[in-house]
Amino acid sequence: MILLIGLNHKTAPIAVREKVFSGCQEENDLLSSLLSLTGVGEVLYLSTCNRVEIIASVEESEDAVQSLSDFLARNGGLTPVEAASCIYKYYDKEAVRHIFRVAASLDSLVMGETQILGQVKDAYRQALAQHATGVVLNRLMHCSFRAAKRVRSETAIAVNPVSVSFAAVELAKKIFGSLAGKKILLIGAGEMAELTGTHLIGNGAGEIIVANRSMPQAIALAEKFHGEVVSLDALDAKLIEADIVISSTSAPAYIVTADLIRKIHHQRKNRLLFLIDIAVPRDIDPAVSLLENVYLYNIDNLQDIVDENMNVRKKEAIKAEMIVEEEITRYVSWQKEQESVPTIVSLRNKAEEIVLAEMDKAAGWIKNLDKEEQEKVDNLVNSIVNKLLHTPVAALKEESSEFSSKDIVATARRLFRLDD
Amino acid sequence: MNLINLELISFKIALVLCVVSTAGYLLSLLVKKIKLAKISTWILSAAFVFLTVNLLFAVINFSGLINPGSRDFLSLCAWSVCGAYLALQFKTKTRILGVFISPFILLFMIAAAGEASGKYLLPQNLQSRLTAVHLFLTIVGEALFIIASCAGLMFVMQNSLLKNKKLSRMSRLLPSLNDLDRINHICLLWGFPVLSVGIIAGTVFAGFSWKAGWLTDPKIIWTFAGWIIYGFLLHQRLAIGWKGYRMAVISGAAFILLLLSYGSVRFCFSTLHNFI
Repeated sequence: MILLIGLNHKTAPIAVREKVFSGCQEENDLLSSLLSLTGVGEVLYLSTCNRVEIIASVEESEDAVQSLSDFLARNGGLTPVEAASCIYKYYDKEAVRHIFRVAASLDSLVMGETQILGQVKDAYRQALAQHATGVVLNRLMHCSFRAAKRVRSETAIAVNPVSVSFAAVELAKKIFGSLAGKKILLIGAGEMAELTGTHLIGNGAGEIIVANRSMPQAIALAEKFHGEVVSLDALDAKLIEADIVISSTSAPAYIVTADLIRKIHHQRKNRLLFLIDIAVPRDIDPAVSLLENVYLYNIDNLQDIVDENMNVRKKEAIKAEMIVEEEITRYVSWQKEQESVPTIVSLRNKAEEIVLAEMDKAAGWIKNLDKEEQEKVDNLVNSIVNKLLHTPVAALKEESSEFSSKDIVATARRLFRLDD
Repeated sequence: MNLINLELISFKIALVLCVVSTAGYLLSLLVKKIKLAKISTWILSAAFVFLTVNLLFAVINFSGLINPGSRDFLSLCAWSVCGAYLALQFKTKTRILGVFISPFILLFMIAAAGEASGKYLLPQNLQSRLTAVHLFLTIVGEALFIIASCAGLMFVMQNSLLKNKKLSRMSRLLPSLNDLDRINHICLLWGFPVLSVGIIAGTVFAGFSWKAGWLTDPKIIWTFAGWIIYGFLLHQRLAIGWKGYRMAVISGAAFILLLLSYGSVRFCFSTLHNFI
C-alpha cells in the first residue's frame, strides 16, 4: 500500500518543522535509512520550507507505519504528544490525493505558487538516483506531475500574482512592456520597497537609485543592488531620470507633489512614469495620477489587485480539484490493475507448464511428423491455450480496474489452484 | 490549370484565411485568450502568403503593375495593411493588435471579392508607371496610418484601465502602453515619407495630365488633409517630444475623422478618383 506521512504548515508551527527538517538533513544517507525500516519497499523524501513528507510503498502492516512515524519523531526530537498532533498519515487513495494536491500547489501556503512542482521533481530525482523508488512510486510521481501540469495549463490558478510586490511588477510590465534598462528610484529604504525593487530587478529592470533621509541605510540598500545613493534634496533631478518610483518613507507630508511632476514632465520628455506609493501616510500626491502618462498606485490599489487575483485563484482551485480527482481515478485504476498482474503471470506460467508437460508426453508420435506438421501442432496448442486464457485474463484486468481486485484475484487463484 | 485559375484559387484561399483569422482575433478578445490571437496571427501570415502569390499572378496575367484590376487594387490594400502589421509583429509581440487590424484587411478582401475579375481600375488616360507608383505608395502609407491609429486607440483603452487601477483580464490581454506607443511611432516614421512620395508621384502625374482643376478634387483634399495630420503628428513626436496618451488620442481621433470624411466623399461626391 501507499503511505504518506509528514507534517506541514497547517499541522505544525515553524519551530517544529525546522527541528524535523534539520534532524532529517543530519541523517546520513537518509533514503537508505528509510529503506532499511521494516516493511518499507520504496520511498521518497520531500522537504520544503512548508513541509516534510515521506511517501512510501509499504507492506500492509502497522510496523511500517509505526517505524516511519517514529523515524520522523526521533529525528525531530518530538515528544509523543507533539508527534501525535503534528504528524499526519494518509493511506492509498488519500495518500495519492495528497501528493497530487501538493504537486499541483493546491496544498501550498500560497495556493498556485509555482516553486513546489520543482521541489517535488527534485525530491523524486534524488530518490531515483539512489534507486529508492520502484514501479509504484515511479508511476505515482509521474501521475502527480501530469496532474500538476494539467492544473497549470487548464486553469488560471498560477496566472495572476498574489503578492503586492509581484502585482507591482505585473503593472510595470503592462506599462513598459520589457523592463530592460528601466531606472528605478526607491524613495525611502523600507523592507517592502526593497522587496519590490528586488522583483523588478529580477524581471530585467536596469539601475536602482536609492534616495533616503538616512544615508547609512540608503548606502546599505544601494550596495545590495549595486545602485546609486542620493539624498532627498536631489530627488527632483533623479525623478527626471527614473521610470519607476517606489516610495515608502514615513514622512508626514507629500514628498512627490503634482506640481513637481508637472514641472519635470517636459524634461522627462513625456516618458511614461510608474509611481508606487507604499507609504502610510502617503508620500505621493494622488493628484499626480491625473497627469498624462503618469500611473500612480498606492498600497490599497495594489492590495485590491492582489485580493481580486486571490479570488480568481480560489475559483480556479475548484476546477483544479476536479482535475486532481480525474487523475486520482486514473492512477487508482492502474494500481488496481497491478494487483491482478501477479495472478495473470501465474496463470500464464501454469498454462505453459501444462503445455510443456503434455508436449513431452506426446513427443513419441510428434517426432514422426515432418517439420511443417510439428509447427502446425505447436501453433494449434498455443492458439487453444491463448483462447482459453483470454477470457479470464480480460475479466481479471477489467474487474480489477473498476472494483477492488482482491475478490476476483482470490477466486482466480482458487479456481486455477495457483497457490498449490 | 492556367494562371488565371491559379490567381483565383490563391485569392479565394487568402479570403477564407482572412475570414478565419478575423474570427479568431475577435474570439480571442471575447474569451480573453491571447493564445487564440497568436494562432490567428499564423493564419493571417498564411493569408498574406496566398495574397502575395495572388498579386504575383495578377502582375503576370495582366501586366497589372501599370494598370491593376479593381480586385487587384483592393487586394493590394489588404496586402499592404497585412504586410505592415505582420512586419511589426517581428518588432513587438502585440498579437492582439490584430483584433483591430484584421477587420480592415477583411473589409478590403470582401470588397475585392465583389469586384469582377478582369475589370481595370484605371481609365485609359490614367494608366502610367507614375500612377502605379502613386497608388502603391499611397496605399502603403495609409495602411501604416491605419495601424498607427489602431495602436493609438488601444493605447487609450489600456491607459483608461490602468488609470482606473484595474488590472482586469482585458488589461492583461492588451499590449503594454510602451509597445503600443512604439508601434504608433514606427508607423508614423515610415508611413509619412512613403505617403509623401506617393502624393508627390500623383501630383507630378496630375500636373502633366490634368493641367488644372485637380487641386480642388475632394479626394485629393482628403488625402492632403490626412498627410497634413500625419505630418503634424510626426512633427509633434519628433520635435516637441509628444508621447503616449496625447499621441494616441490625436492619432485615433484623426483616423476616425478621416474615415468618416472619406466615407462622405466616396458616396456623396463625384471626383477624379472615382475608381477608389
